[in-house]
Amino acid sequence: MADIWQGPLEKIDDYRWRIPKSYKAGMRLPGIIYADERLLKDIRQDKAPEQVANVAFLPGIVKASLAMPDIHWGYGFPIGGVAATDIDDAGVISPGGVGFDINCGVRLLKTNFQYDEIKDKIRDLVYALFSDIPSGVGSKGDIRVSEREEREILVKGSRWAVEKGYGTDEDLECTEENGAMQGADPLAVSDRAYERGKAQSGTLGSGNHFLEVQVIDQIYSRDLCDEFGLTLGQITVMIHSGSRGFGYQICDDFTRGMIHCLNKYNINVPDRQLACAPFNSPEGKQYFAAMKCAANYAWNNRQCLMHLVRKTFEKVFGMSWQKMGMQLIYDVAHNIAKVERHIIDGKEKTLCIHRKGATRAFGPGHPALPDRYKKTGQPVIIPGDMGRNSYLLVGTQGAMEETFGSTCHGAGRLKSRAAATRSINLDTLLKDLESKGIIVKASGRGTIVEEAPQVYKDVNDVVSVVHNAGISKRVCRMKPLGVIKG
Amino acid sequence: MKKNYELLEHTADIRIRIKGADLKDLFTNAAIAMFDIIAEKKTHIIDSKLQTKDVVVKQKADNIEELFINWLNELLSLSAVKGLIFEDFKISQINKNNLIALAKGVDVRHYKVNVEIKAATYHELKIENNGSGFVAQVIFDT
Repeated sequence: MADIWQGPLEKIDDYRWRIPKSYKAGMRLPGIIYADERLLKDIRQDKAPEQVANVAFLPGIVKASLAMPDIHWGYGFPIGGVAATDIDDAGVISPGGVGFDINCGVRLLKTNFQYDEIKDKIRDLVYALFSDIPSGVGSKGDIRVSEREEREILVKGSRWAVEKGYGTDEDLECTEENGAMQGADPLAVSDRAYERGKAQSGTLGSGNHFLEVQVIDQIYSRDLCDEFGLTLGQITVMIHSGSRGFGYQICDDFTRGMIHCLNKYNINVPDRQLACAPFNSPEGKQYFAAMKCAANYAWNNRQCLMHLVRKTFEKVFGMSWQKMGMQLIYDVAHNIAKVERHIIDGKEKTLCIHRKGATRAFGPGHPALPDRYKKTGQPVIIPGDMGRNSYLLVGTQGAMEETFGSTCHGAGRLKSRAAATRSINLDTLLKDLESKGIIVKASGRGTIVEEAPQVYKDVNDVVSVVHNAGISKRVCRMKPLGVIKG
Repeated sequence: MKKNYELLEHTADIRIRIKGADLKDLFTNAAIAMFDIIAEKKTHIIDSKLQTKDVVVKQKADNIEELFINWLNELLSLSAVKGLIFEDFKISQINKNNLIALAKGVDVRHYKVNVEIKAATYHELKIENNGSGFVAQVIFDT
């Protein structure tokens, strides 16, 4: 394939590879890719490493342009990239470093059920979830909001849903940023974004977004599982969704504007999709305030989706969600920019951390964590493909020291949609999944083929790298039983 | 209908190549290609006459690349907001900085939506005049 990347990758150790600063004039720092030899072969198959090098051009970038083992070719930033800029030293913020689906993220909730107790009801449950949860391209939800309410959602995030009775304070405590970033400014958002976001609250969306009923099939740390109240054979539910059209519009609006900032602030980047502005410039501040609105919109969306999941379980099993122990373990964002303080060369600095297809993974004791997770470290939720596994990990001190408290976000794509459509037969795929005990329901037949397990890297390999590199720690692994795709 | 675009490999997203005799033709073909990827008309209504809605699209930009991306993203945005799939485009005015067009859309209910395109991106965007016409390459975030 013509896109194979031939550039230099220097081995640092078994899990770390360096693209030297000398690779390309304009790189301010090297790139570092977390991968083992096997994943590295896949990583070289497209231009993702070139994008890691391009991100190293960003003004104010510190330490290195980082890439997680699920890295793949994006548009501008690589998917699986982490970049931190020093906001007190001309560091920039880039809408491309967050992406169109702002606060695309994932949440995991547990139940009291063991697989053996409900195995005969899983088909009914999956069909009920598919019918009750709006999914698919441009899907509109039953949770309708007025314009005034939409503005409230942008500021309050998940709290809006909780105030409506769609959840509890405990849910907020178990959500990154408690479900709302402070400083969201609805006035920074265009009328078009409002219009685009209006009808989509409480909808799953399409593409790689999904809802899964899962069973824990492997325990890695008994102590951590005890802390989280998880055991082998226990049923969990995972929700993967984002800010829908609302976020796409904000990214589009601000990318248009920031292209002009490249000249205005004399910024040299090799790709216009890396358009950016100094974090402390009016343009940078305005984008950040609008991005927070989309992030809060997405958290509220996942809260509403979880409410619908709980209601559907209640309908199918005839008891309250509290009785079924359907507590949220955690909700993480994996497309977002945050202002965080980290130690760089022995000095604490205020950084703008872009996580584009990367998850925050704060270690034990971090002040941003709720008391219940101070001892364990932050729960990190890694969705895999529909045929293999997903993971619960925790953040580590290693991540704090090396990756600005960040880790991978999923399996990472290996094959294009076109290649999937050419080589995979839908009926064979569905039979194969069914034989593994996995029921799939999707709005579009095409989505199932495009999202088939074989188009993804094996999430087990990806997680193995972040665990062995010490930037997160495995807690347990889940296997899908029922998958609902948009 | 014969496709007026070529799908190129891209790991996560959709990359296409489009041709056009002139800029007007290139921009029209790119828009047709994008909506062809997004949706297909439900089979039972292919031949029936559907009510269309006209939407005026006006865009300004500093150069042709930005105009191209703005045009496609504006259509995506209007499509989402108005619940329309656009199927016909009459560009009345185009130069490297300005575009005025009329887009004809049909209610999305008459279509089967296959892919959600979030946006057209600048990454590896190419627009070239090869003497006999224009060729463009663009990556859509999906």
